[in-house]
Amino acid sequence: MSRGVMLMSGGIDSPVALHFMLRQGHEMTCVHMDNRPFTDDSPLAKVVDHLEVLRARYGQKIPMYLLPHGPTQIQLMRETDRHVGCVLCRRFMWRSAERIAAREGATFLTTGESLGQVASQTLSNMRTATASVSLPIVRPLIGFDKQEIEAVAKEIGTYEISTRPGLCCQAVPSKPATRSNLVQILQEEQRIDVDQMLDDVLRHATVL
Amino acid sequence: MTYSTLALCASKGAYEAIPRPKISVNLLEAKGRLESAGIPVTDARVMLIVAMEREVTLSRDGRVLIKSNDAKEAERVFDRLRQVVGLPERDPDNP
Repeated sequence: MSRGVMLMSGGIDSPVALHFMLRQGHEMTCVHMDNRPFTDDSPLAKVVDHLEVLRARYGQKIPMYLLPHGPTQIQLMRETDRHVGCVLCRRFMWRSAERIAAREGATFLTTGESLGQVASQTLSNMRTATASVSLPIVRPLIGFDKQEIEAVAKEIGTYEISTRPGLCCQAVPSKPATRSNLVQILQEEQRIDVDQMLDDVLRHATVL
Repeated sequence: MTYSTLALCASKGAYEAIPRPKISVNLLEAKGRLESAGIPVTDARVMLIVAMEREVTLSRDGRVLIKSNDAKEAERVFDRLRQVVGLPERDPDNP
């Protein structure tokens, strides 16, 4: 089986997606994009607890990288069009995960995305967001509906953790774009120094 | 023009206050007032992140989010923010 990098949010979906990848025997490294100050401490605490549950279930170490994402969000809010903020944010997450994959010798990326759940998960936005990376992306939950995902989460013991009180992302614009085109996104990214920002993120990475 | 009751936000991780009717806050001016009062502020253009007793975000539309799940603490922080920035009063009918 192969080695992959999984983006973990603290929500209901990502631990379920990780469970399916581990069950299939893949060796996974996790990445959590720390969105403070646009959220509180709860997403990180949830991810830590999710991993504890899944480490016990599968007897795997499952390393996790914690990467600062708040400074990136501030830069995006200051310099780019808010309407496409979620897509730009996702592109940074993917790029960060790809850099961790290179460091870890991983050959694919994974998320808990399922089609149409939130603004960043329309087909158009997923396509635009993932155009920022070249590694293949595995989405074990893409065709699942929320009830199906929740049922698995309850079965594996991560649902209670995911649904604890917490603060949603405050950087989400009031009217996020549900359709985006790559030309516009690339123009927006010309306003910022993407490589420098990514270097900063990776320089402040910690492994938990 | 008043703020509606301070209430736990949908995800129950913070207290939220929303002005009725909508207002428009000059964030640059608000930032100046906060900094003059010795309160550190991060300017994210469409919102300010304010380091008070608890972290607070103040949006251009006047929405205030206080990262606390303690109602009394949230009230205290909100009232101080209101006074420093000059935001509208809380609704006296919804204390």
